[in-house]
Amino acid sequence: MRLRPGRADRGGAAPPLKMEIECPRESDVLDALASARWPNRVEHELAEHVASCAICRDVVAVASAIQDDHDHAWREANVPSSGQMWWRAEMRARQDAIREASRPITVAQGVAALCALTLAAVATWFAWPSVRAVLSSLGLTGDAQTTIASPMVIPLAVAMGALLIIAPLAIYVVVSEK
Amino acid sequence: MFSRELTVSDLDRLDRIATAAVDALQMDEDTFRAFYDRTARQVWAYLARITGDRSLADDLLQETYYRFLRAERDFTSESHRRNYLFRIATNLAHDRHRRGRGITNVPVPEENAPGALADGRDLAAETEQRADLARAMARLKPREREMLWLAYAQGSSHEEIAESLGLRKSSIKILLFRARRRLAAALGGQS
Repeated sequence: MRLRPGRADRGGAAPPLKMEIECPRESDVLDALASARWPNRVEHELAEHVASCAICRDVVAVASAIQDDHDHAWREANVPSSGQMWWRAEMRARQDAIREASRPITVAQGVAALCALTLAAVATWFAWPSVRAVLSSLGLTGDAQTTIASPMVIPLAVAMGALLIIAPLAIYVVVSEK
Repeated sequence: MFSRELTVSDLDRLDRIATAAVDALQMDEDTFRAFYDRTARQVWAYLARITGDRSLADDLLQETYYRFLRAERDFTSESHRRNYLFRIATNLAHDRHRRGRGITNVPVPEENAPGALADGRDLAAETEQRADLARAMARLKPREREMLWLAYAQGSSHEEIAESLGLRKSSIKILLFRARRRLAAALGGQS
């Protein structure tokens, strides 16, 4: 395979610039490296070729350095045993499956609790005039109503406000993975 | 906040789900262990060299095999399976690189004391050569490091490299040529 000539080279009379990107002897060089014949036990003809071929020189420089490093990395690799790896994978698969399966339950619980609290708050809101009427019929005056109602309404309002802020956050914390 | 006690039927259901998840793994235990024993050191060496970080390679090795086991794929051959494993490892290394834990540090070989190896090779010279290679590799793009390692350490064919890196086979030749030339220049400049 050859590189295509640059645009500037196409129109002129000069021959297009071509750059070799592979050499048919590369595989011979790699074989010599892999079988540890390079550089001492390699055929004289191949050694001469490498000396005159820029591509094969690069192949020798790069492949020999990487293969030496690979041999060293192979020796220094301290990988877990296959049994240990299998056991960890099995545990993790179980945990992931349970977490995924539990997520809808947790969401449903959160939504149900939120709905119940919201319904309770709404019911209290609509029932409040009736409560006031009951309190009036019991003979409690407007002053008395204020005395009774104020301590109830303020905490209720604060609780509802807090619920509206905290509930979505709580659901997010429960549902999110991290 | 919204917790409730799990019932026995909940526990049974979750146990069935967990068991099904293990059954759904790509391989049975014996097949996996044989495959792992054949490939783990290669994958670790690949990860250690393309990331330049041994401890990161340890982490990514586990993640690679876990994701491999959970992959819902049919493999036509051992080579196909192995290439897919390397593809997972490559993608994980890319993810870490994007998140900022890349090959910014050049791993310094641990043994640097002068002396000779049992077979007569010079330990200090070998250590220096490896340090030179590590520095030169660190100057390359991640894709170039991966390609060179697969080609010259694993002996992968162009087709296997393309499959492992998710590239077109037709582009491997020119990309490999450029990467090799850059590394050779970097090694030549250092020595």
